[in-house]
Amino acid sequence: MNASRTDELDSAAGPTRSFNFGDLVRRRPETITLLLLVAICTSVAIANPAFLQPSTLIDIGRASVVMGLFALGVFIILAAGGIDVSFTAIAAFAMYSMTVLVQNYLPNLPIAAVIVMATLGGAALGIVNGLLVHHLKVPSLIVTIGTQYLFRGFLLSFIGTVWIMSLPPQMGAFGRMPLFQIEADNGALITLPFYFLVLPVAAGLTWWILNRTLMGRAIFAVGGNADIASRLGYSLRTVHVFLFGYAGALAGLAGIIHVCANRQANPFDLVGTEINVIAAVVLGGARITGGTGTVLGTILGVLLIVVINSVLVMVGIPSTWQRLVVGSFILLAAAFFVTRQRRK
Amino acid sequence: MVAQAHTAQQSAALLELKNIQKWFGGVHALRGIDLTLQPGEAYHLLGENGCGKSTVIKIMSGAHPPTSGEIVLDGETFASLTPIQSLAAGIETVYQDLSLLPNLTVAENVALNEQLVNANGRLARLFDRKRLRETAARALAAVSLPTDRAFLNTVVSDLPLASRQLVAIARAIATRAKLVIMDEPTTSLTRREVDNLVRVVERLRSENVAVLFVTHKLDECYRIGGHAVVFRDGQCVAQGPIENYTKKELAELMTGRSIDAQRYRTGEPSGAVLLEVDRLVTDGVREASFSVKRGEILGITGLADSGRNELAMALTGVVPATGGTMTLDNKVISVRTPAGAIEQGIGYVPEDRLAEGLFLDKSIFENEIALIVSRLANSFGIVDRDKGREIAAHLSEEMRLNTKNLDLPAGALSGGNQQRVLIGRWLSIAPRLLVLHGPTVGVDVGSKDTIYRVIQTLAESGMGLILVSDDLPELLQNTDRILVMNSGRIITELEAAQATEDQLYKAMLATTTENVQ
Repeated sequence: MNASRTDELDSAAGPTRSFNFGDLVRRRPETITLLLLVAICTSVAIANPAFLQPSTLIDIGRASVVMGLFALGVFIILAAGGIDVSFTAIAAFAMYSMTVLVQNYLPNLPIAAVIVMATLGGAALGIVNGLLVHHLKVPSLIVTIGTQYLFRGFLLSFIGTVWIMSLPPQMGAFGRMPLFQIEADNGALITLPFYFLVLPVAAGLTWWILNRTLMGRAIFAVGGNADIASRLGYSLRTVHVFLFGYAGALAGLAGIIHVCANRQANPFDLVGTEINVIAAVVLGGARITGGTGTVLGTILGVLLIVVINSVLVMVGIPSTWQRLVVGSFILLAAAFFVTRQRRK
Repeated sequence: MVAQAHTAQQSAALLELKNIQKWFGGVHALRGIDLTLQPGEAYHLLGENGCGKSTVIKIMSGAHPPTSGEIVLDGETFASLTPIQSLAAGIETVYQDLSLLPNLTVAENVALNEQLVNANGRLARLFDRKRLRETAARALAAVSLPTDRAFLNTVVSDLPLASRQLVAIARAIATRAKLVIMDEPTTSLTRREVDNLVRVVERLRSENVAVLFVTHKLDECYRIGGHAVVFRDGQCVAQGPIENYTKKELAELMTGRSIDAQRYRTGEPSGAVLLEVDRLVTDGVREASFSVKRGEILGITGLADSGRNELAMALTGVVPATGGTMTLDNKVISVRTPAGAIEQGIGYVPEDRLAEGLFLDKSIFENEIALIVSRLANSFGIVDRDKGREIAAHLSEEMRLNTKNLDLPAGALSGGNQQRVLIGRWLSIAPRLLVLHGPTVGVDVGSKDTIYRVIQTLAESGMGLILVSDDLPELLQNTDRILVMNSGRIITELEAAQATEDQLYKAMLATTTENVQ
C-alpha cells in the first residue's frame, strides 16, 4: 500500500522532478556526492548488515577527523582559486616537533597549550606559503610543492627521524578521552573520542568565515577572478595570507590530533596522502579551477572517501580495489558536473 | 544643457588631473594629460585604441599609479590612488570587460563593494546580508532589472551578456558615486538597452553625478550629449561641448587624418555561386537557406539572440549544424569541426578575438603562422622558421600592422592591430570563404578603416566573405546584400546599396508574427 502510493507520486512528479533535479545538481553539485554516499551505504548495508552497527559508524567518524580538517583547508584555498599540497608536510612538522618539544623540554605542558601551539605553528608555516604565493606571483601549486619539500626536509634533517612510540602522557590521554561510549553486542566498549568534536567545530567555523564575513566573500571573489577582485579593492595580500595561514592552522591541528589518536609520532607519516584529500574536496563539488564549492560538500566528499576506504572490505571487496573505485567516482562525478554546466 | 554646464563650472571640480605622465617600460603612454571633471556633467573620452584612454581610466580608478603628475580629488592632492581610495571618493568604473565575478550572485556583485568600501577595505568584518539585498535591489531597480530574490541569487555566469552589462552598471551606482566611468558600455547592448542606459545617465546627472564614457560609437555620444574629450597618442587634442563638433571632425581629431565615412564597397561579385546553404538547422537556427557568390560580401545581422551567432558557428564547424546541407564549389561538404572547415577552405575570425582567436602571450609571428605550421614543417616535423618569418612579415605588411617587430606578444597590441593579426593569419591559407564575426568590435576608427579596406581587397581577389555584425553602418558600407535574422530565421534580405539602418532595425525588432517587409 505504502509502496504503491510512493510509486504513484513518483510517476506523477516524474518530468518536473527530473528537470528540477538537473537544476539542483548544477547549483549544488554536492547532491551527487550525497547520492553516491547514500548509494554506497545502502548497498553495503544490504550486502553486510554489520555495517549499520554503531561501531562501524564510529570508526568512520573517527577516521574522518584528520582528513576532514585537511580537506577544509584545501577547500578554502581551492575556493580562492589556489591549490595547496604542502598541508601534510605542515601537519607532520607541527605534530612531530610538538611531540619532541613536549617529551624533551616541556613535559608538563597542558594538552590545551600543546594543541594551540601546534595550530599556531601550522598557521605560521601556512603564512610562509601565503607570502610566497603573493610576492613571488608563482602559482600556489608550484610554491606548495616547494614548501612541502622544504618543511619536510627541515623536519627530517634538523628535528629528527626517530619514530616516537610512547607519547607524552597528556597527549595519549587526549587521544583516549571519550565523548561517549557504547557497549557493543559482544560486550566490547566502543568509544567515540572527544577529539571527534573538532571536525564539526572546524567545519562550522569555516562555513561561518566563508558565508558570514567579508573575508569569506573576498575568498570567493579572488577565486572567481583575482585580477578583477584586486581592481574592485580586495587586498590580495590579506586574502592570501589569511587563506594559507588558516589552512596551515587546520593542518597543524590535524597533525596533533593524528598523533594523539594513533598514540605514536612518525615523522615520515602523512606526506603522500595529499591527493586523497584533494580528491575528497573535488568529489564534494568544488571546482579545481576555483571559486565554487561548499563546506557541506567538502565534508560529504571526505565521508565518501572514508566510507570507500573503510567499508569496501566489509563486503568482501579487496582493499586494492579502493583506488579503482575512488578513481572511477572522481571521473564519473567530474563528467557529470561538466555536462550539467554545459547544458545550462 | 548649456546652462547646466555653466553652473557646473562655477562649483568646485570633482576631479582634476594635472600634467599626468605615464610610462610603461619604454612606452610613453600619457604625455601630460590635463583634465578637469565637473559634477553632473557627461564626458565622452574619444580616441583610437592605444591612445591612452584606458590608462587614464586606470589612473582615476587606482589600478595604475601615474609616473608623474597630480590627481586632485575633492580639493586634496594625490600622487596616485589605490582602488579603495578611489572607490571611497565615489569614483566607480564599469570596465569594458565588466569586471563581474562570475561565480558570485547578482546581489553580491552589485552590492558587496559598498560594504567593502565602508569597511575601508578591511576584510575582518561581518557582512550584512540584509543590507546587501536592499542595496542590490535599489541599484537594480535603477537600471530596470528585476529585483526579486531569484534574480538576486542568480549566479552571474548564468546571465545573458546584456543583463551582465546592466548588472555592472548597477554596481557602479549602488554606492553614492560622484563619478561613474563607463568603458565601452554599449558594445554588447541592443538598441532598447541603450535607451535604458541613456535614461540611467540622465538620472545620474540630475543627481549631480558626473559620467565619463569611453566609446567608439559616436552616434551614442551625440544622443547623450555633454563634453567631448579627444585623445591622440597620449595627449588631449580637443575638449569641448560635443555638439560643436561634427562626426567627421571628431574622427579626424582622433586619427589625425581624414576619414572617408562613405561606402567602402566598390567591387561587384562575380557570377559563380561559391557557397549554397540549404535549410541549415542548428540550436537557435531554423532552416536557414542562402548563397554566397565568389567575390561577394554577404552581411548577416540580427539581435544577439536571433541566431546570427549560431549560424556563423555552424558554417565554420565551431558548433556543427544538426541538419541541412552546405555546398561549396558545387561539392556537398560536411563541416563538423573548425579543423574540418579549414580543410574545406572556410576561415573564421571569431567575435571574441581574445578568448577564441589569439594566443596572447605568443608573438605576432607565431600567431600569424599558426594555421600553416604543418605546411612549413619538413618530413621530420621541423618548422622552417625563416620561411614562416618571411610569410608573417608579408602578411603584416598586407594588413598594415603598426609595428615591424614580429616578436612582440600579440597581447601587447591594441585591439585593432590584434584583429589585423587574426585576419592576417587567415590570409596565410587563402581560404575560399571567410566568415568574419564582429570584425570591428572594440576597434577604433583608424583600424576600422584599414580592416574595411582589407575586406574589400579580399573580395576583389575572388574570396567569398560573410560579415556577421550588429554594427549596421558597417554592414551598409561594406556588403553587397544583408540578411536579417530574427528568432532563428532569415526573415528578410536587402540590397546593401539601397537599404537604410531603419529598414534593418525594423526587421531585427519585428516580432515573429508580424509580416516584415
